[in-house]
Amino acid sequence: MRFLVLVVLSVTLMVVDARFTLLKPVRSQMSLVLMQSYWITDLPQRLWQGVASQFGSRTELVAENEKLKTENLLLQGRMQKLAALTEQNVRLRELLNSSALVNEKVEVAELIGMDPNPFTHRIIINKGERDGVVLGQPVLDARGLMGQVVELMPYTSRVLLLTDTTHSIPVQVNRNGLRAIASGTGNPERLELRHVADTADIKVGDLLVSSGLGQRFPAGYPVATVNEVIHDSGQPFAIVRAVPTAALNRSRYLLLVFSDSRTPEERANDAAKAQEAEQSGEAPPIVPATVPKPVVPAAPVAPAAVAPAPVVSDPKAVKKPATPAAVKPPAAVPATTRERQ
Amino acid sequence: MASTRSRNGWIIWLTFAIGLLLSISPMPQFMEILRPLWLALLLAFWALYMPDKVGMVTAFCLGLAEDVLYGTLLGQNALTLTLITFLVLSLQQRLRVFPMWQQCLVLLVIFGLAQLAQLWLSALTGNRQPTLALVLPGVVSALLWPWISYGLRGLCRRFKIN
Repeated sequence: MRFLVLVVLSVTLMVVDARFTLLKPVRSQMSLVLMQSYWITDLPQRLWQGVASQFGSRTELVAENEKLKTENLLLQGRMQKLAALTEQNVRLRELLNSSALVNEKVEVAELIGMDPNPFTHRIIINKGERDGVVLGQPVLDARGLMGQVVELMPYTSRVLLLTDTTHSIPVQVNRNGLRAIASGTGNPERLELRHVADTADIKVGDLLVSSGLGQRFPAGYPVATVNEVIHDSGQPFAIVRAVPTAALNRSRYLLLVFSDSRTPEERANDAAKAQEAEQSGEAPPIVPATVPKPVVPAAPVAPAAVAPAPVVSDPKAVKKPATPAAVKPPAAVPATTRERQ
Repeated sequence: MASTRSRNGWIIWLTFAIGLLLSISPMPQFMEILRPLWLALLLAFWALYMPDKVGMVTAFCLGLAEDVLYGTLLGQNALTLTLITFLVLSLQQRLRVFPMWQQCLVLLVIFGLAQLAQLWLSALTGNRQPTLALVLPGVVSALLWPWISYGLRGLCRRFKIN
């Protein structure tokens, strides 16, 4: 009797949980307590790392420091170039009147657990709803896209990896812009491109980047490299296999991307407004403040606003004319500050 | 009576807490597929030896906890754990007098049934496991049963749980 009651109860729970959002608060309350156990199971690993770093020998530390320094130098070198390229890109986009690239804000999260079910590829990270994580948020590691947030809990969230069998991501071949969809295969080292025409220009070694077409992942992040292209005349499509660039089963520190939260319509509206404002004479400076996109009006307005400053003939103010140029990248930054709200 | 009933009952809950931790503890990739059904094993033992303390409601609650941990639909693991406890409870009189190997066989069947129910439920929700390898945890759990059983009986005697 009791068995029947419980069975009926669990079936209703399942149906309600699958169809409605009624149980979400219950779930998040329960997870508040229960998710601590992931933290506990992660404890030995953490302790081991702590001990290892405490007792790491001096030579090792020195070597590591050296390595990190050279790496830092290399990355900074690359960054210098990147700044110039970004600047150039923004200017070219201005010429084309297309929307500017927005810098996404990222936040570091740490992996605290793997999904115990071996047939799904999901991980648990230590940032949750209270940290501003949203459903569907993209997750990266140092080398590429890893997946997206599929379940939110107060202080943790669950991330579905690219290689899960239920996951697909729109990608683009970096070399020529060919679009495709990369689906997970259940193998942590393999993605498959579905429905690629046999004659499509895709080669072994091509880098696949996210195309941003699904409006879930930001465009331009590396996803995978093609490692196998099979042309089988018996098959209607070419078989293309790729290896994810992210270390899906090894990365411990991940990056959560906070991208533009506005819908495409809002974005288009904002851009249109900015353009109108620009055409109706010099734009009021409020517009660039609220609308992050238009770097266009921001650039001409800023010098005009600052120009009176040298008149004061303060020796410190002389430095100011240099700032508009330096301010330019921050013109795109309001986007990121806005997103935090 | 009331005083004896509550004696050392917390040990039972401690074993369940450890079981929950074990069921999510990280394991090497190749062993993930063999992960024993720790909660099912513990529930089977306690339902067999303390049927007045651990019953289907306990199983249901633990199942809900497991659902939250695994991120499955609420009620999915609860259903299978309730099923296991129900089967164990209904076979309790016979199971207790069986020799160990026979207990193992019966539990193998019970766990297998539960895993099949699990497969069926996850197929309904769209995350169908591709192979029948998911019966493996049932086999591993049945093989672990003698050790669990002896160990927990020793624990009972040591702490005089009743």
